[in-house]
Formats: sequence, C-alpha cells, structure tokens
Amino acid sequence: MPDPKQRRGPEENLSRRSFLKGSGVLAASGIASRAAAEPGAGLAWQAEPERLSGTAELALSINGEERKLSVEPRTTLLNALRNHCEPPLTGAKLVCDHGSCGACTVHLDGRPVYACMLLAADAVGREVTTVEGLSSGDGGELTAVQRAFCEHDASMCGFCTPGFVMSVTACLARKPGATLEEIKSACSGNLCRCGTYPHLFQAALDAGRRMGAGSTKGGR
Amino acid sequence: MSARHQEQPPRPAGPGKKWIRVSKVVAGVESEEWVEVDDDEEGGEEDELAWPPRGEMHVLNRDLPRVDGPDKVTGRARYTHDVRLPGMLYARLLLCPHPTAKFELDLEPARAVPGVKEVRLVTEEETLYLGQPIAAVAATTPEAADDGVRAIRARFEPKPFAVTHEQALAENAAPVGKNGNVRADQTKGDLEAVESALAECDAVVEATYRLPVQHHACLETHGVVVDYSGGDQATVYASTQGTFSVHGEVPKLLGLPAGAVTTVVQHMGGGFGGKFGPDLAGRVACELARDLKTPIHLMLTREAEFLTAGNRSGCVQTLKGGAKKDGTLAALSARVDRLGGIGGGSHGGLPYVYAPRVSFLESRAVHTHTDGSRAFRAPGHPQASFAMESLLDELAYALGIDLLAIRKKNLPSGKDGDVWSRQLDLCAQLVGWDEHPHKSAPDASDAPLKTGIGFGISTWGGGGRAECQVEVRIARDGAVTALSGTQDLGTGTRTLVAAIVAEEFGLALDDVVAQIGRSSYGQANGSGGSTTAASLAPAVKDAAHNARAAFFEHLAGALGTKRERLACERGEILERSDSSGAGDGRRWSWEEACATLPPSGLSARGEWKSQLASRGTHGAQAAKVTVDTLTGEIRVVQMVCVQDCGLALNRLATRSQINGGMVQALSYGLLEERVIDPELGLVLNANFEDYKIAGCQEIPEMIAVIDEKDDRAVIGVGEPPVIPGHGAIANAIHNACGVRLREMPLTSDKLLTGLVALREGTREGPKRPDGAGR
Repeated sequence: MPDPKQRRGPEENLSRRSFLKGSGVLAASGIASRAAAEPGAGLAWQAEPERLSGTAELALSINGEERKLSVEPRTTLLNALRNHCEPPLTGAKLVCDHGSCGACTVHLDGRPVYACMLLAADAVGREVTTVEGLSSGDGGELTAVQRAFCEHDASMCGFCTPGFVMSVTACLARKPGATLEEIKSACSGNLCRCGTYPHLFQAALDAGRRMGAGSTKGGR
Repeated sequence: MSARHQEQPPRPAGPGKKWIRVSKVVAGVESEEWVEVDDDEEGGEEDELAWPPRGEMHVLNRDLPRVDGPDKVTGRARYTHDVRLPGMLYARLLLCPHPTAKFELDLEPARAVPGVKEVRLVTEEETLYLGQPIAAVAATTPEAADDGVRAIRARFEPKPFAVTHEQALAENAAPVGKNGNVRADQTKGDLEAVESALAECDAVVEATYRLPVQHHACLETHGVVVDYSGGDQATVYASTQGTFSVHGEVPKLLGLPAGAVTTVVQHMGGGFGGKFGPDLAGRVACELARDLKTPIHLMLTREAEFLTAGNRSGCVQTLKGGAKKDGTLAALSARVDRLGGIGGGSHGGLPYVYAPRVSFLESRAVHTHTDGSRAFRAPGHPQASFAMESLLDELAYALGIDLLAIRKKNLPSGKDGDVWSRQLDLCAQLVGWDEHPHKSAPDASDAPLKTGIGFGISTWGGGGRAECQVEVRIARDGAVTALSGTQDLGTGTRTLVAAIVAEEFGLALDDVVAQIGRSSYGQANGSGGSTTAASLAPAVKDAAHNARAAFFEHLAGALGTKRERLACERGEILERSDSSGAGDGRRWSWEEACATLPPSGLSARGEWKSQLASRGTHGAQAAKVTVDTLTGEIRVVQMVCVQDCGLALNRLATRSQINGGMVQALSYGLLEERVIDPELGLVLNANFEDYKIAGCQEIPEMIAVIDEKDDRAVIGVGEPPVIPGHGAIANAIHNACGVRLREMPLTSDKLLTGLVALREGTREGPKRPDGAGR
C-alpha cells in the first residue's frame, strides 16, 4: 500500500507559490520577444511577480473589421476572441486549451490555426477569420461547406462543429476536389465526441464536389 | 435477461388504467419500474391518436436536417460556455492533488492577486477522491481566476490510498470511506447447478475480462452560468441533460423561491449520461452569485472535467461458461467487480442477452479513492456485452462452430430472439460473412496482414413515461410554435418537436418553431436512458392534435363549415365533401385560415399517451478489422449496425446516433483508458493529448441500418448502438490472428505480446534460444 508521506518532501508544499512566479516569467517572455522589454526587467519581475499584471493595447483584424483590444500580454487569441471582443466571438470553442482538439480552429491569413495555441499579440498585422466571419452579411448565406454540414447532419451536439467547419473550409479552399483521405488528414487535428464523422466526411466530400464544379475559390 | 426486471406489476390495474414498464437510470444504474397509466386504447376515444403508417408520413420518418444546424455551423448557437454577462466573474476550482488528504489552505495570497474578487473553501473535510475540489476563486477574467487558484498556499497531509482494484482489495487496504472497500450487492442464480452443468459440457472456458475506466469526455465541460445581481430574479444557464434536474435545485442554492429562477439549456456540448443536476460546480456558482450578487461563470477546466465529472466504471469480471458440442450454451457463472471509484459502478448483468440453461452471478462494487462513476450511455451494458460476446466466441472456437451460428443458437426464444437473429443475418450479409473464409477458426496463415470479423448484440429498455408538458401555439400570422422545457443534447430533440407538429398540421418542417431548453416552457424529463423521444414525442403529438382540433372547431364557425370536413395538408386547409355530398371543396392557405383567429391566436396542451410509445430495443453489430502481425497495428475497416428503435422520427438523426454509438464503442475499444500511477496516486492522462478519443483517422466505413421490420411506436436509440461494438472488434481481432485480447483498450502492445505467446505456445512450441523463426 503506497504511503505518500514517505515519498514527498515538505518543501513541495510550497510549489504553488514558485509556480506562480514561474508562470509570470513565462507570460512576460511571451511579450518581451515582440516588444523589446527593458534590459534587466526579468530580475525585477522575479522578485515582484504582481507587477506583471497589466494590459497591452492591440489592434486585430478580425473578420475584416479592425478591433481594438486591451488584453494581458499572455492572453491567447482564443480568449481574446471569446472574452475580450465586444460583442464576444464565441464560435471558436475552448475545449482542451492545449492544441489537441481543434474546436478553437480559426483562419490566420487563410490558414487553419489553433486559437488556443497563439497569443493574441501574435495575430497583430494578420487577418483572423472565425466561423462567424465565413458567411456573408448578418446571418447571411451559408457557405457551401456550412450548407453541406446542415444537409448531411454533420453536427450533433455541435460543440466541435465550428472547428470542423473551419478545417474543412481551409482544406477545400486549397483543393476543392479533396479526396476522403485528404479530408481526413485535414481534419485529423479536430475531435468530435458525438461521433458525427461519417456524416461529416459526406458533407465535406459533397461540398468539395459542389465547389469543384463551380469556382475554385473558397466557396464563399 | 437480468435480475433487475420485476416481472409482474405490483397489483392489478385500476379501472381504465394499465401498467407499463419504464426504464430508469439512477446514478449509473439502470433499472425498470412499473408505472400505472391511463389505458387510452380502452377509452374508445372518437379520434384515436396514433402515429400514421410509415409510408404515409410526409415529414416524420424521413431524413430531416436538424433545425438548429444553421446556428451550429455559423457559431451562432450559444452554449453555456459562451454566455457573457455584464459584471460576470469567472470562477475556478482548486483540486486536491492527492487521492485522499487532510489539508490546510492559506487563501490570502490568492485574495491579493489582481482581478480576484473572492476566494473560499469548498470543503474543510479530509478529501475522499483524487482531484476533489477544495477551494474556489472568482475573478474578473479566466486568467486572473487561474492565477488566484495557483496563488493559494496549501499544506497537505496525504493519507494512505487505494486507487487500483488490487490496492482496494489488498489485505491492509486503505479504507475508502467508512463502509469498507467492497460491497457485494447482487447475487443471483444457482452456483451448484452451474458447476454440475459445466461438468457435463463439451467445452468449458474460464477467463477474466477487464475494462478500464472510460471518461465521458464531453467537449463542453460541466458547469453553469448564474445570472444573478441581487434582487428577486435569477437565470441559470446550464450545460445539462436535464433542464429540470438543475431547475429543481438551484432556487434553494440561490436562496430564492422556485418561481423566481429560470433555467436555460439552449445548446449543450455533449453529456452522454454524465450531466445531471447542478453538481458541485453548480452549487459553488450559485453560492458565489448569491453572496457576491454578481453573475458567475463556472465551467470546469479540462483537467477538472477528467478528474471530477464522472466516468464509466471499470470492470474486472471472471466468467466460466460451458457449451455442448452443438454450441448450446449450457451454463455460465460470473463474478463481477465494478470499479466506480467512490461510486457504485454499473454492470448490465450476466448472462447478457444470450440464454444459457443455468447461470450464476455475483456482482460487487469495489471502491477506490477516485471520482465516482456516473451514468454513461447504456450504463453497464458495454462492460457486460464485452465479456459475454468474448466468452461466446471462445466457446465457439473451442468447439469449431461458426461464430454467427453460435449466437443465433443461444438467443432467447420467442419473438425477441427472432429479431436478433434477423438482425445478425443482415449484419453478416453487409459485412461479407458469407465470403469470409474463417468462420470457426482464426486465420492461421503466415500472411502478415490479416482480416477478421466479429459480432455483438445489444438490448436496452428505452421507452417513455408521462413526464413532459408541451404547448402548441398557432398565431394569427400563421406562425406555429411548440414549447417544452426539454433539452437537446445533440440527439435532435428540437427537430423532432418541430417535425411532429409539422406532420400534424400538414406543414413543412421550417414552418414550425420549436422552443425548448427553458424551464418556463413546461416540465420535461431529463435525457437519460434513451427516454427523451418516447416521453416527449407523444406529448408533442397530443398537443398538436389538440391544437388542430381546436383550430378546426374555430374554423368551422369562421368559415361556415363543419369541423369533420376539414383537413390540413401541404400548407393548406381543405374542406372535404362529406358522404352526403355537402361541403364545397373549398381550400384556404394556412395563413388565410390563421388570419381568422383572434389576436391572441390559439394554444393547446398535450400529455403523454401510452399508445404512442413502445419499449425494448434489439441491435446487432459486426466489425471487420485488419491486423498487421509485424507491427501489431489494428485497424477497424468496417462497422455495421442494424438497430431497431420503434418509429424513427428523424431517420437522418437516427443514423447519426447509430454512427455515434459505433464511433464511441470503437474509441472505447481501441483507445480509451484512464491511466493512474498506482504508486504516486496520480491520473496521468487528464487531458486530450494523453486521453485519446477516436479522430478522423480511426473512422472506418460505417453502415448504420435502421431495422425496417420494426413497426412499433417511438422507443429511443441513444444507448443501444454504443453497447456491442468494442466486443465485436475484440472478436474480429481474434478471428484475424488468433490472439484473444481480454483487456481493453485493445492496443498493439497487447496484440504483439499475444502473437509472441501464440507462436511460442501453440504454433512453434517453446521459443528456441537462438530466436530462430521470424
């Protein structure tokens, strides 16, 4: 029978405190690489981690509109979208927070990325497209991909759906006539727990056929 | 099939009443109970309420795209996670990192973190399970709340623990709770009769089958958002499978009268059995909102979801079964340990579906210092099915009998057996069993890549009961609305509500708006045990039927005709000539007819009608796998499911559910397992990098077949398709290469170990020192 007391030193009880310091330095280094922090500032930060809180003013181009945000340097693009935009852009979902499920997939200059793995600051000067920005106008026309998702019942609970829509859209924008294997590969960074995959593949193939038959551009 | 059935109603039915059996899942344990209901069939109503024959429906029983699809594909669908309110604080929980520990916390450093508004203890008691929440932080941003949690200073006094089956059963085991680590709570059958029958059998197999703890892994974590800023009203948004399972408890937690709180479940990101009631997160959020008088957003982090939000219990089950030469299953004994952590765990009972002459079962809960199990899609059945189907396969190979034939031979007699038999035949046909060369012995060739086929079957109760209130409204502008407080887990509940009303009114699906997911829309049952459709659909149908009757009554006066002459189809109201030739054969558009309504429109309510629901499902599945005997790679290349569910209200969504069940079974079979370090007492994979669920690359060709021969009323289909898939896969692996994997997940390392043992043991004798051979 394991007895944890024999294995753990008392000093480990303080680890939360040291972790806080550590996380402060990490957060700081994220912005320092972009914004050329003062020399020697790292030492002061270690002594007084509280000073790290504060915000950076960022201008992001999201769905064709410029948004000015005031966020902490460590804020991910996903949290910026969901918690710091007004109105909030909650289409991209926070699920794993570690870049392993794809529910937060957005496009950065047209390429699919995990919004939870980027700092908001990393998106400055680039074009961010979220699922809300795919269809034209206010609640406007669905894209070919979105229509196909609806027709083939490619969403069940729907929590993974925005991420899959973004991955499939990017895949078909690159190659409208993508094969099943190419679609699986393009979506292999996305997870669905309800198990909609068979209908999702049908939707993607169908959208691809429609887009391949028409324009070779993104299917908007 | 198992001892949980109470075969007879408790007493004779009263006048105009009858008894029906209904399914119930409480805390992961499925049971059935008898409920006395009105006998509508006997009542002799003038207009008997019934589902139209299958071929005559113009909306129902067809492929219907779900009505909230456009919201889901555009990001407009708002989940609890997405609720944003002015002044809202984000709350986080501090989890105890030990299986069981006494602790002291210094909350002051957390209170000093910028943005943190509140830090409090959740419990002061010694913790009972690994990851138990012990403190909560509320802050202006999620990041600040995380900082606050990290800033709490903690001193733990870890206690001796038991986190595995072996540790829990050890002689000097650390006690889990006060009532002992083992609770033997079910014994049935006659062990002596089994033993003497086994002595007469031509083949006897004794084997232990193990299933790991599986997580629900809902993409939206558990949690609530409480909209309360002081005053006498509150709204609670919840990610739940039961609007009213939350609604019934939150007013008390907020210190408000029941009527002052509205519970909202517009969209929810997966539940699978694990999301009922406010839960700890709901309690903490309500208390924070009540005390701080500000909205609280408390959704579990992914780690907390893995550690504290329930699971499918693990299982260690030892079976001893015997069969006669002809494949007749003569006797079965089973000893089952359910590993539900601090919960009881669940098991579907043995024998599972198949019917040996005599049987014996002893089932025990074995407790560990881990999170309690909860209901999880067909609680207990996937565990029981895996052992039963594996054992049956082992007996078939021992006797050299066709794997399909031994199943059909041992089905229960009568109508149910005939259904499974027919379904198995169809599965076999679709998976290519006839052409498969290895029907009663594994592929013994030296080919490196081998193909195998396996089978499994399932049963579930489903069905419904009188638990839903539904209102249907017709407005003067022609708008039709159906209201119920029920929730849509992704199963398509919202769509079936609209579809039933559209069918009744002769309208298109788009013409009806289903408003669900709000407690003020009327009582509804929680979505557990595949009972949503069979409880809700009859009430929707009844409400629509009553609304139509009231509408015709009104129209008869307004349009100068008789209500018996009126009909509605294709968006029109028709006046039919009656037998006397009276009636002008006039027709009005739906809008024209509705324009005659008073400004308030028209409304009718409905209730559950027993003749519109049935119960009891049958299903069969087949899996085809390829096994690479050099690398150990296992690929499922095809899964087939033939499933009955009574009337499939929406065939497209029903196939989605069947596919989803197969995908989850595949995922469970090949990938999923909570991994705990037994020495450190730590869960090693409480995240989506290390806890694997099936992704695109694992998905084989899938064939989902709704059993066309089933002409019963609505039953439900959520649970059954998840039951037999992983067993079928394990059987297919053995069929391909002769390795019997008795422990899930079915991974390459186990397969390779098995291949080595096979080669050394049965095919080439003991391994030679020079390693000759391959």
